[in-house]
Amino acid sequence: MDLNKRKNLYYLVLFAIFSVITLRLVQLQIVNPEKFDKEAEKNSVKTIITTPARGLIFDRNYKLIVDNKPSYTVTITKSEFDTSNIALISSLLGMSSEQLRDNLRKIEGTNRFIPARISRDVDFSVIAFIEENRELIKGVDYSIEPIRLYPTDFRASHIIGYTKEISESMLKKQSGDYYRQGDLIGTTGIEASYEEYLRGQKGYRFILQDYRGKEVGPLNDGENDIKPVSGMDLILTIDSEVQKYAEQLLEGRSGGIVALDPNNGEVICLVSKPDYDLNYFSGKLSSQVWTALNTDPSKPLFNRATQTRYPPGSTYKMVSALASLQEGIMKPNSTIFCGGSFQYGDRVFKDHGATGNTGFITSIEKSSNVFYYKLVLMIGLDNWTKYSRMLGFGEKTGIDIPEETKGLLPSTEYYNRVYGPKGWTQGYVVSLGIGQGELGVSPLQMAVYTSILANSGTFYQPHLVRFLKNPNTGELIPVSYKKRELPINKEYFKIIQRGMYLVVQGNGTARKIRTSMVDISGKTGTAQNPHGKDHSWFIAYAPSDDPKIAICVMVENAGFGAAVAAPIAQRIILKYLFGTDDDSELQSVDSD
Amino acid sequence: MQTKIFDRFNLIIFISAVGLISFGLIAIYSATFNNEFVSGNFQKQLISALLGIILVLFLMYLPPKYLMMSSYLFYGFVILLLILVLVIGKKTKGQISWFNIGGFGIQPSEIAKVATVMALAFFLSNKHKDTDISRPRDFLYAVGIVLIPVFLIMLQPDMGTALVFFAIILPMLYWAGLPNHILFFILAPALSAICGFLGTWYFIGSLILIVAILLILKRKLLVSSVLLSICIITGLSVNLFYSKLQPYQQKRIMSMFDPELDPLGAGYNVIQSKIAIGSGGLTGKGFMQGTQTQLKYIPEQWTDFIFCMIGEEFGFIGSIFVVLLFFLLIWNTISTAYFSKNSFLSLCCIGFASIITFHIMVNLGMIMGIMPVIGIPLPFMSYGVSFLFANMIMLGIILNAYRNRKEYN
Repeated sequence: MDLNKRKNLYYLVLFAIFSVITLRLVQLQIVNPEKFDKEAEKNSVKTIITTPARGLIFDRNYKLIVDNKPSYTVTITKSEFDTSNIALISSLLGMSSEQLRDNLRKIEGTNRFIPARISRDVDFSVIAFIEENRELIKGVDYSIEPIRLYPTDFRASHIIGYTKEISESMLKKQSGDYYRQGDLIGTTGIEASYEEYLRGQKGYRFILQDYRGKEVGPLNDGENDIKPVSGMDLILTIDSEVQKYAEQLLEGRSGGIVALDPNNGEVICLVSKPDYDLNYFSGKLSSQVWTALNTDPSKPLFNRATQTRYPPGSTYKMVSALASLQEGIMKPNSTIFCGGSFQYGDRVFKDHGATGNTGFITSIEKSSNVFYYKLVLMIGLDNWTKYSRMLGFGEKTGIDIPEETKGLLPSTEYYNRVYGPKGWTQGYVVSLGIGQGELGVSPLQMAVYTSILANSGTFYQPHLVRFLKNPNTGELIPVSYKKRELPINKEYFKIIQRGMYLVVQGNGTARKIRTSMVDISGKTGTAQNPHGKDHSWFIAYAPSDDPKIAICVMVENAGFGAAVAAPIAQRIILKYLFGTDDDSELQSVDSD
Repeated sequence: MQTKIFDRFNLIIFISAVGLISFGLIAIYSATFNNEFVSGNFQKQLISALLGIILVLFLMYLPPKYLMMSSYLFYGFVILLLILVLVIGKKTKGQISWFNIGGFGIQPSEIAKVATVMALAFFLSNKHKDTDISRPRDFLYAVGIVLIPVFLIMLQPDMGTALVFFAIILPMLYWAGLPNHILFFILAPALSAICGFLGTWYFIGSLILIVAILLILKRKLLVSSVLLSICIITGLSVNLFYSKLQPYQQKRIMSMFDPELDPLGAGYNVIQSKIAIGSGGLTGKGFMQGTQTQLKYIPEQWTDFIFCMIGEEFGFIGSIFVVLLFFLLIWNTISTAYFSKNSFLSLCCIGFASIITFHIMVNLGMIMGIMPVIGIPLPFMSYGVSFLFANMIMLGIILNAYRNRKEYN
């Protein structure tokens, strides 16, 4: 019997067991203790989140247009909730049992000890019931949360936009982890583009809880707590009075209006009709309303002022005019013979009148088509595309709401791509000369173009927000925007401006809106609509010698250019410049 | 003179044990301070430890022959207690494992471990009867000594404690001279059963290993093939048995091995204890600063999960220090067994070393998530008066063995 050998075997076994224990300790405590640290924290630290109220929104005259009001949100703490109360609670909240069960399942992943939002913006009677029956319905509670209130008598729905509960896909996509389930997030309009400023920063309080979820006290005596930061208020460029008036003028029609200050790009009013009531989105948005808004054939959620792309018609003629002058193809006093119609190949393009040898000014005043059929062929497609882009077409204008279209700006590459290099002819270009064909622009782009024509060649990025305002200090932080000088001789703008002046003040297509109060310069246009009645365009600025407002009015299916659009533009101009309300019926005027 | 004292007193064993008890007290204090129901546990454990040290010194100076003479008596007394507890014991958590004497809860199964080791050591070292462990009759006697308390404890039922008894049989029998091949004949079916449970390839691997060792041992062909058949049968029947179980029983077994399968049930404690130890990091969160433990995410952390306190509040440095103390204690106990000329005391040391090692392995293994969930306490550290006294008796006898290691019995 060799006891020595056996003793060594015992030592070996002992050593092996202790090696495994030591290695495991190293693995747990040295290799990745952070992982366990997090787990321990998740266990014991309860985070109480305070969501600050969203910033308020004011118009350019500091009139409050978006406010907050308290609302009651019913919460359920799952660890305390007795599921036999599901029927009672669901009927109390006006939802089906399945819906409530579904909501409860959704919060499965979150901490069972933290109250989860179940129903927003409930009636006070529900809160009273909860207060009276606390013992019976354990785990059911409520919190007070601010929701949006719109204390105005106009809508501005497409400007302000709405907030919605963050969707699961947005939660996954977010960079960082700021948002949690149930949070509201700005989804459209200014609410979306200024989300980070409006929302402020959530506050976090860290509280230690024991294994039962009972609060024990603040973590680190509250040293790690983060105070909530209130959201920034916004001061808009919008003039409430003008906005309200413009909405009234377009009521019952379908279309868009954008009015800008041509000296800085500030949006005076922006209207898209039909629109919707933002109050639907404040508090709880019922799925019926949401479905109705989304399936409405008149598409009220669609922003017609910034997202439509229709051919601009004759309002676009000044683009070719400027291109031909700046490129030296035409002299300011050059003329083109306009005989009433224009034949290109075997196709005849008609005009609404013959003006003989015609100069630039008359071509605009009378809106001659033949002049521009011939002119666009002289300057060529590439020059036409170049100057269109220079004047803001085919690109987003950069307005500070997310809903905006680039429009559609045809170019040589575009036609090559769509029809093949040999599949199209210069005949396609002829229509572009008078703003028809495949060209697509938004009323916003037209308003920017109008203000460039009005201010003789400066592009200002259109914008809705002037200042961010710190609600605590009152400090105003100006928002900066782009400005760009166009490489076009200012003298050539004078010619265009003279033509547009005569459209209203002379013997032009919109002479019926002439008024003794102010000189208005403008241009009518009709977008050919293969699907129905033509769309009516009117662009204008005033006063003619010192422009303070540049406007574009587009009315869908309203027929000839100036018929409806021009009088609307005139009234908005007068409202903005003089504050005059004219409530009489709109009179259709002649056009194109 | 100085050397003479330490020649008869193993300071390393004693200091290690006292160190572990102290660490245990600190941990119990931290674990129970904020809990009004058990805040008396610290004082109880402290008094027990102080009384226990007197007991240790008493046992250390006791002449070995008294220990030997009282072995069977002690064993018999404990068997009586185990029967008594089944009759008049108190039921807690589905187990009848203790009864109350004068305000103290007595848990006979803890004392039974010590008594069984002593009885077995006495039987194996009995010169007068000339015990030979390779004789089947003596082998069965030896196993019988262990199985009687195991049977009674299984009736409580306390599977964890019953398992500990199996851990003492082989090391003691082997120390007493069990031939290598018999040890192998016992271990081989166990190995194939475990491997059979783990999977087909493990099972095939284990069979190849067994055949290889059989070839080395060169036993009779008949004996070898019988053993191999037994191995194959056990390996296969484990799986058959498992597949016949109800799904909930299977789940319970699986979650013993993989706590994540049942995070809210049996696995909960292990997941939380891993978090506690892991989050301690290198230096720990500081005395009474552990969130996992102070906020009671680990239930009854002063008993089986006491090591979580050390891991979370004193980190790797504290943990490895505790592990080192255990290692020194057991290493020196084995070496005492080797040097002891008294075969009874030598066998006692091996038995006690096996008990302590098994407890540490299963307890720390469970807490750190590498062993099945079997609830047994950590020697010298876990709260429990009976358990601490059982540990103290073992310590006293180990020190006695060292003191008298040069004397034959």
